[in-house]
Amino acid sequence: MTAVRQTLLLAQWQFRRQSQALPLVIVVQVFLSIATVLGYGLLIGNPTPEFALYLATGAPTITLISVGLIMTPQVVAQSKTEGSLDWMRTLPVPRPLFLFSDLLVWSLLALPGMVLGVVAGVLRFHVTLSIAPWIVAAALLVSVTSAAVGEAMATLLPPAVAQIITQMLVFIVLLFTPVSFPADRLPGWLATAHEYLPVEPMAQLIRAGLAQDHFSMPGRALVVLILWCVASVLGAVAALRHRQ
Amino acid sequence: MTAVSTLTIRDLSKRYRGRSGVQANDGISLDVAPGSVVGLLGHNGAGKTTLVNQVVGLVRPDAGTIRIDGVDAIAQPHLARKLVSIQAQSNVPITGLSPRLAIELVGRIRGAARGDVTRRTEYLIDALDLGPWADTPAEKVSGGIARLTAFAMTAVVPGHVVVLDEPTNDVDPVRRRLLWEQIRILADDGAALLLVTHNVREAERVVDHLVVLDVGKVLAADTPAGLAEPLRGALTVELDLTPGAAAPAWPSIVTPVADAGPGGSRLRATGTVRPEDAADLVRWAQEQVNARRIERYALTPASLEDVYIRLTGLEQTADGADEGTARPQVAADPETGSTTGGAA
Repeated sequence: MTAVRQTLLLAQWQFRRQSQALPLVIVVQVFLSIATVLGYGLLIGNPTPEFALYLATGAPTITLISVGLIMTPQVVAQSKTEGSLDWMRTLPVPRPLFLFSDLLVWSLLALPGMVLGVVAGVLRFHVTLSIAPWIVAAALLVSVTSAAVGEAMATLLPPAVAQIITQMLVFIVLLFTPVSFPADRLPGWLATAHEYLPVEPMAQLIRAGLAQDHFSMPGRALVVLILWCVASVLGAVAALRHRQ
Repeated sequence: MTAVSTLTIRDLSKRYRGRSGVQANDGISLDVAPGSVVGLLGHNGAGKTTLVNQVVGLVRPDAGTIRIDGVDAIAQPHLARKLVSIQAQSNVPITGLSPRLAIELVGRIRGAARGDVTRRTEYLIDALDLGPWADTPAEKVSGGIARLTAFAMTAVVPGHVVVLDEPTNDVDPVRRRLLWEQIRILADDGAALLLVTHNVREAERVVDHLVVLDVGKVLAADTPAGLAEPLRGALTVELDLTPGAAAPAWPSIVTPVADAGPGGSRLRATGTVRPEDAADLVRWAQEQVNARRIERYALTPASLEDVYIRLTGLEQTADGADEGTARPQVAADPETGSTTGGAA
């Protein structure tokens, strides 16, 4: 009960601190999400129905991942630079709550972009979705995992390094990860690597959640994702507990 | 000190890794009892902030113990944090919030009920005369108001131990008084206060005990009166030298504290003199003014600041280090009751 209260209060703190930039952040999120759909459309031309589903479901996955892996570390890096992170860490708050409150704030901010990305995908590629009832839980699993990885990275690395890595990750996720295209297009070694990395399972999960008539979630991928989730939350909490 | 200390630090040592490898704390021991204010004095880099960061679990000591209400703060930093509230040395950025909202949110995050927090916030805003800025967006308030807000964020739900790192920086003289009053009240209400400050003159009136740190070690620890004992009854004489003129040699009645640097690199000299020699000294100093060897002189009762400068500054001079940069940073505060003379 106290934990929930503290998480909400911390989220309120973070939310209000970002309030000036909020409208812009939401606009940029929406823009990126729709631009991903439309941009892929330009690259590909008229895709086959199956591939159209890849594109339409890939956009929200990319939005979810980018919130955790890119925006969370940037905010943490910023608060480290301005000096508020250390002071916040002197408050009697269990360390995981910092992660959860950041996650809550950024997930809420990403929500409009994610939904509009799905809508844009449906309209642009004329696909019909079949949404699974567990899509919300799936989205949560994906965003917790990516935010935990992002938070651990930003807590342990110097701010400048964290910023550069997050920018590199954008390109890797957009172009070299089977999110918006099938894994068999990748060179063999990279496809194998992705079987052990978290992003492909994330994409598979969201894809299956949005178009369950066409895709299913392989059990192995779910196990890989859950392992990553547990490891990254433990890593992020360890990073937050770290003392100089 | 007393046996019922809330904060007990023993043989605390911390060396930062890396190329510079600074030994920030080197065997520090100190106690802070409930209801008392312990002042922590020292140059920039003396190890004060490292010490407080270990108390709140941001920095891990290499050796030594920290106990807060009997809790081992090094093994259980999460329990220690519940017992400590800290005002950090740099201001906590609160852009997007107002001072009132920031104070209230911190109070509630620290676990107090909303109604209590609202009342306590209102009290602190009133006591520190923050009213006119309480609901202003934080990006529009001055550094001094931000500093007072940071203090209120620390004091809204105070821990058993309250650590204040330079609370008076940037605060105007009127509000500084209000702030000292609140600091004293926190202690009178039973908190154990550890106060890091450069503002020796003002702290003197509030602290019960002083610990002087230098290069990570405790140089001296005593009550203000105990520390000032060696200089009891002595007067401090300060000379502002004329640029370009040769510095006059002190008369034998003066004990030098800090001399002009070689080749007149420093334009100030300080010494102490016994009260019975004051008249002779004033005569001598006035001659120097008339001869244009010095610009002005001042004779003041020896203060804790002089003790502090003696303890830390003299050592540096004796080592042949640049005394000019080694001098502690003290608040330039017009001191009342000083005798000042100068060229007419």
